[in-house]
Amino acid sequence: MAKSGEPALLQGTLDLLILHALQRGPLHGFAVAQTIHLLSDDVLTVEEGSLYPALYRLELDGAISARWGVSENNRKAKYYEITRRGRKLIARQQETWSRLSSAVDRVLAR
Amino acid sequence: MRRLFLKLVRRRRLNRDLESELAFHREMAAAQGNSIPLGNTAAIKEQAFDLWRFNWVENLWRDIAYAARALGRSPGLVLSALLSLGLGIGVNTAMFSIAVEFLLSEPSVTDARSVTYVRLGGNSHADPKVVEFLRQSNVFQDVAGENEETYLNWNDGRETHPVFAVEATKNYFTALGIPVARGRGWMAGDPSEVAVLSHQFWRKQFHGDPSILGRAMQLDGRAYTVIGILPEAHRTLIGYGFSPDVYVPRYLDDTPLAIYARRKPGMSVGEARAALRTLAGRLDGAFPQPYKYRASVKMTAIGGLARLGDVEEMMTAGLFFAVLLTVVGLVLLIACINVAGLLLARSSARRREIAIRLSLGASRGRLFQQLLAEGLVLSLAGTALGFALALGVARFLASVPLPIPMPFRLHIEPDWRVVAYAAILAILTTIASGLTPAWQSVKDSLTRDLHRARKLRLRRGLVVAQIAVSFVVLAAGALFLENLLHSAAISPGFDVRRTLRAEVHLPPARYADKRRIELYVEQALRQLEAIPGIEAAAAARIVPFTDNTQFNSGLTFTDNGEEREAAFHWNAVSPGFFRAMDIPILAGRAFHWYEATPAVMVNSAFVKRYLGARDPVGCRFLWGAGKAPYQIVGVVRGTKNLTIGEGDIPQLYQPFTQIEEDRPRLQFVLRSATPPAAQLAAVRQVLRRLEPAAGLEVATLFSSVGLAFLPSRIGAVLMGGIGLLGLLLAAIGLYGVLAYSVTGRTQEIGIRIAVGATGREISRMILLEAGRLLAVGSALGFAIALIVTRPLSLFLVPGLSPSDPLSFAAVIVVLAGAGLLASLGPARRAIAVDLMRCLRYE
Repeated sequence: MAKSGEPALLQGTLDLLILHALQRGPLHGFAVAQTIHLLSDDVLTVEEGSLYPALYRLELDGAISARWGVSENNRKAKYYEITRRGRKLIARQQETWSRLSSAVDRVLAR
Repeated sequence: MRRLFLKLVRRRRLNRDLESELAFHREMAAAQGNSIPLGNTAAIKEQAFDLWRFNWVENLWRDIAYAARALGRSPGLVLSALLSLGLGIGVNTAMFSIAVEFLLSEPSVTDARSVTYVRLGGNSHADPKVVEFLRQSNVFQDVAGENEETYLNWNDGRETHPVFAVEATKNYFTALGIPVARGRGWMAGDPSEVAVLSHQFWRKQFHGDPSILGRAMQLDGRAYTVIGILPEAHRTLIGYGFSPDVYVPRYLDDTPLAIYARRKPGMSVGEARAALRTLAGRLDGAFPQPYKYRASVKMTAIGGLARLGDVEEMMTAGLFFAVLLTVVGLVLLIACINVAGLLLARSSARRREIAIRLSLGASRGRLFQQLLAEGLVLSLAGTALGFALALGVARFLASVPLPIPMPFRLHIEPDWRVVAYAAILAILTTIASGLTPAWQSVKDSLTRDLHRARKLRLRRGLVVAQIAVSFVVLAAGALFLENLLHSAAISPGFDVRRTLRAEVHLPPARYADKRRIELYVEQALRQLEAIPGIEAAAAARIVPFTDNTQFNSGLTFTDNGEEREAAFHWNAVSPGFFRAMDIPILAGRAFHWYEATPAVMVNSAFVKRYLGARDPVGCRFLWGAGKAPYQIVGVVRGTKNLTIGEGDIPQLYQPFTQIEEDRPRLQFVLRSATPPAAQLAAVRQVLRRLEPAAGLEVATLFSSVGLAFLPSRIGAVLMGGIGLLGLLLAAIGLYGVLAYSVTGRTQEIGIRIAVGATGREISRMILLEAGRLLAVGSALGFAIALIVTRPLSLFLVPGLSPSDPLSFAAVIVVLAGAGLLASLGPARRAIAVDLMRCLRYE
């Protein structure tokens, strides 16, 4: 959908990471970025320039839903939650991803 | 669906949400001393929003708003562009409205397509009995009749005025479904003394007083009750803007009527024609008379494109409008080039802005869209302005009374065709004027190194194109201006204001003998001349513009036996022809009714072309099969034969009594001391009484031939005006583009001055450049104009040729003048240019 601006990661990959991060429960945008950063052992850095467009797109697709809540430091924050549709999506994407990555591994191993 | 719903419901909150969300994100990041970099808030918002928007609509809207704001900052440009487009589109739409009204309008009846004008036995009008017979036959849904060229005497209480009237059958309003604005039309049960007024007559004579309904008015000494008033936009069955004052039911038994028949639903024109033929046969049985209704059955559509195909004279008019629309189209093209030039100049000034926006991440497509939007805004505004202008111009042109003795009023209103036309013009204008600069700007910022050479080339191309198109328009305009100056001379060579024409088809069986025709003619002429107010009457085989006979024949002169091939228009006339038609006799005399020896009269062109040094009067020659020589008894001034634009063509007249052939079709021309329409009934009556069996068509000569030269007259005025407009636009455009091309070279000029060029050298350089462009453009325009203006000859006064050197010379002088003026200003500015500023310019 987005007309320009390439995400730092492959587009499908970012969606997958976001959805994965949200599987643990509702998170706000910053927490999503932080979770991915931490889970990747500080390798992956999700820039807000990629994060928010991706979040908005996923919301529009119905993979996640958003509501306003109160953050741990008592600030108003928008929390994202994975939907049933999102869980289906993540299952499909995970499979695609593992096929892709193992294929890449196989190529590089030979 | 879900997306659409979400978009619709949530989009309002989006901006606020995202902003606070981003703020929260940054705050958190800062609080943690996080290394996650801060991005470009605006870009994120743009990207996130892009998803949630109806993109192209919103972009378009934003672009338009932006374009309007941006254009608002250069009011000078906007003003000149709007003027160019407004004038261009305005004139186009006005012309289109007039052309549509004149050529394609339909009469004010319900379902005009199912109504046809019916002519039986070669008669334009038929006896009321015939109309009634056709109506009762039930072949048609309904049949009505009208006599549209009647005159009634209206006594307003103090004075008696003649008013143009239509007499019609009792079912006139119901059968045709003619709408009435106030009151009602008459119906079968109404008495005969009721009248319906035209809107204009009502407004002019009764000051639009609605209480006139139900009141009485004196017409021809009888008291009529006014029962209705027609709408302002009423269009008569005849069309062409013909607008009589009063409508009354037929009150004389023998008033001949034009027949209008409405086909039944589902009945094709072919079926109607076949049915009509059968009916005509039954008519011949029911009303036995010497001539046959069956002999000629004609059906003509009453409006729209169909009529255009049915009526031959309309083709000249159609061609005229084609030329007219072409020329005004060229004017619009100039306007577009003007706007393109202006936008181009602007786009170059905005190169920096565009470069910045590109580097900020605006996509080329978006930028392109946005620049295009500027063109769209301009052209839409220009169209709106032009549309308003068109209404004004069309109203004005329609209100100018035509110098003719008939009530004509073109009712011009913007109908959907005109609106569509204006809209198409707007789109074309956008493409023409918006695309070039937009493409140029984007291209520019991509290939900066190349831009200078290419831009100069494009700019020069524009100037040359503009000069070429201007040349064509100016050439056409100059021709028509010259034509306008000669318009007093636009004359068919005979009078049409006070003349009538009657065409008679004698029943051939009874008039097989040539002598009988002569007797009939003699008698008819005597009786016609006895009508009060008729000054002269004559018989003729041919009335110019309605018919013609051309001869190519050898002449053998008896004085020295010289033989010459001659080509001329032939006619056979009775002695009074030249007086009736107001054709001056230049030498010799008119014919006598009976000439003892073969006599001819010729026109001055014949004398000049074929007689050499001979004295024309008394000159004798052998011609055709005749054994005895013909003697020229008189020389007359020439007339036009077929088109108003033709040159002097040799003509030869023979006395009516000396021609061999005895066609039973003949024509009368009459000269009336009073407006000729007033005499139609009397003339018809005389001819009808004399030979009740004859097919008869009586009309004013103007309505017979007027159409042939109406376009020339209107055209002279219109095209003269358009020529001036074209000149104005071309001069503005030339100035703009030349001035801009100098401005674009400011830096170069600055450098030249810095290295020692004098002011004189600089201005020579600029003038030479302008001169070169002018020369190329003019040469191109000249070549195109030679071809394009060729069809104009049909509408020009004789002696003016489309390739008239004088008008071309005038065009070149005017263009050169405009070019010189246009480059003088910039040249002066170039010399006075501030050295430091222009060196710092980039």
